[in-house]
Amino acid sequence: MELDNKSSKGKIILSGIIPFAFLVLLIAYIFGPGSDLLDLGVPLPEITMEKVDFVDSEIRVTVRNTGPIPVEIVMADINDRIQPAAIEPDRFLERYETALVRIPFAWNEAEPYRIGLTIEDGTRFEKEIEAAAPALEPSLELVGFFAIIGTYVGIIPVMIGLLWLPFIRKISKNKYHFFLALTAGLLLFLGIDSIEEALDVSEENLAGSFNGALLVATVVVLSFLGLYYSSEKLIRRAASSRIAKPTAIALMISIGIGLHNFGEGLAIGAAVGLGSIAFSTFLIVGFALHNTTEGIAIAAPMSRGKALIGKALIGKLAVLGLIAGSPAIFGAWVGGFVYSPFTSVIFLAVGAGAIFQVIITILRWIREEGDKNLSSAAVVSGFAAGMLVMYLTSILV
Amino acid sequence: MKKSHSRIMIASISVIIVMSALYFTFTEDIIAQQEDTVFVTHSGSVIKTTGEIIDPVYSTLLNPEYTESTVEFDPMEYLREFNYGKVSQLPDGTTLREFTIIAEDDKIMEVSPGVFFNVWTFNGTVPGPTIRATEGDIVRINFINNGSKPHTMHFHGIHPAEMDGVFEIVGQGGGRFTYEFEAGPVGVHPYHCHVMPVEEHIVRGMYGVYIVDPKEGRPAADEMVMVLNGFDTDFDTENNFYAANSIPFYYQNNPIQINTNELIRIYVVNMVEFDPINNLHLHANLFYYYPTGTSLVPSFYTDMITLSQTERGIMEFEYEYPGKYLFHAHKIEFSEKGWVGIFQVNDNPDQKSQLEIEYGT
Repeated sequence: MELDNKSSKGKIILSGIIPFAFLVLLIAYIFGPGSDLLDLGVPLPEITMEKVDFVDSEIRVTVRNTGPIPVEIVMADINDRIQPAAIEPDRFLERYETALVRIPFAWNEAEPYRIGLTIEDGTRFEKEIEAAAPALEPSLELVGFFAIIGTYVGIIPVMIGLLWLPFIRKISKNKYHFFLALTAGLLLFLGIDSIEEALDVSEENLAGSFNGALLVATVVVLSFLGLYYSSEKLIRRAASSRIAKPTAIALMISIGIGLHNFGEGLAIGAAVGLGSIAFSTFLIVGFALHNTTEGIAIAAPMSRGKALIGKALIGKLAVLGLIAGSPAIFGAWVGGFVYSPFTSVIFLAVGAGAIFQVIITILRWIREEGDKNLSSAAVVSGFAAGMLVMYLTSILV
Repeated sequence: MKKSHSRIMIASISVIIVMSALYFTFTEDIIAQQEDTVFVTHSGSVIKTTGEIIDPVYSTLLNPEYTESTVEFDPMEYLREFNYGKVSQLPDGTTLREFTIIAEDDKIMEVSPGVFFNVWTFNGTVPGPTIRATEGDIVRINFINNGSKPHTMHFHGIHPAEMDGVFEIVGQGGGRFTYEFEAGPVGVHPYHCHVMPVEEHIVRGMYGVYIVDPKEGRPAADEMVMVLNGFDTDFDTENNFYAANSIPFYYQNNPIQINTNELIRIYVVNMVEFDPINNLHLHANLFYYYPTGTSLVPSFYTDMITLSQTERGIMEFEYEYPGKYLFHAHKIEFSEKGWVGIFQVNDNPDQKSQLEIEYGT
């Protein structure tokens, strides 16, 4: 019996390996004797200037080979005028390899520059910078500046939003559903917003070979699945432990919003770092108003927490608010000091995926709470109102 | 069992994702420190780099190890190379000068250090050979087209219609044609391919200089040819490089050696396309200028000439003081893309003592 079992197991493994072996053969053939078959068309070289830093009398360009063939970078220019430059570690770039091109140049602040790199076949690639701004050097002052901005746009608005909790707690079930749906609407908007931002960044700064849109889609789905899995776990465990289910949901919402705010902080930090933004009080106000709604999203499920009153509740809310808001600070630091378009796209997409997961959780909560009905007037109007409020406040940003 | 399996899977997937994200993000930071190369910019600042220097201007001047990247074509050789052809006498006593010119369009030329560009050539180089004859000589060109496209040779000057290289297309893959005409008028003229699209055939490199000397000759001088040209290496109808004699910054890195109080004669021909004009400015001196070189009397005494397409002339000057003198396009865009050079004026060995006396007193 056991022998039988073993041989059948072997067969299973074998049947799993055979197709794989054929695949390996196919690939080996294409790269080996069959390579002539695919020798059609001309592979065009491509490089992408992912990042341009303006430091003391020097312009630094991070360049990546984003084409299908190795390239050699042989010349740099500023505003289409040839400049001597250094390239580190060397001028030969394999696929996806990066190099740092250092061009000594007495640049002037706030003036536009076109940076050009020429490769060995004479093709010139160009990147336009709207306004030169000194690269941010991490200093305590800047760290503090970003922390304050992060607090203003992240933590404070979320905390203010949480103050609606007593109000939401006292209203009728119908109105409560309205607020829950409103939250879902707000979040849906934020999710779409993150995706749009991620696509923008990838379009502007990532080469076509990264498949920007598909990268975003993949990361959104992976992030969604990851959080979906762990939140199911958390909520199921909540049922059998001290943590109340509403708290578990609120926690998941906080995490989702936190991931989103990290992306928002990244965008702010990067914008300051790239000099493409002038920070006005108006902008801060816009972000603050926009993010207050996120507090409501957390408050809504918490308001049905039963045993929580007084200090315990306030402590919990504060923690949730910090989870949701403080990533804006970390985001601003990362975005301002170690900006990379690729990480930005990833984080924005992760944030979007997290938010979609939260929406699912809320909708399910409404269904369970309510009468298995997602099409009540309260829910529909709440959802719509959420989207609208977000759109209107987004105009301010 | 199932649960732990899925946990491991999720964990490993997330590890893979995180690792690949890190790889793409931080590869530039993982580069090990190597020994530094010091590098001085044109404005004098000193830069240390762990990498390489990419600079057509800088390449040979201060960095001897960069001579490896210098180009195959030698502008210094071209500068003073005149081809007088295979000389024989016709029965009536006229001098016959025979040249063989082979057209090709598959050459890859290093047009600037590290930049390899497919050029179309007469006898393998851009510019083609400088053809020189005396007024009244018979010039015979045995033209062979070994290219993959039709080509011709169209000479500026005076000749019969059928020798004009316009309608007598010479087919690819070994087509032949014999151009024969009497050299004239006196002066400096361009020759170039005249097959449609003419602009493409010119900007790819099918041009050269044709000099007709007066019978009585010109005063002895250190003679040079300068073809002002450019290359559009990315085909956007704008030149990426400009130069005198093809290689950007070449004469800046390798100054042209001349002597004080010695007559310098430059045959200058502008072959730059796309840009309506080009110009030439000589530093710390003025020169006599003979437009097209057709007269033996100069028309201007100046330090700056402006040339349109195929416009050309002869410059004559002497330097009194030794030292380094720039010459360049005063359309600075062109000089910053390579059309700039230096005359290194050395004490004339014949007159050295005299000059020293002048300075000493």
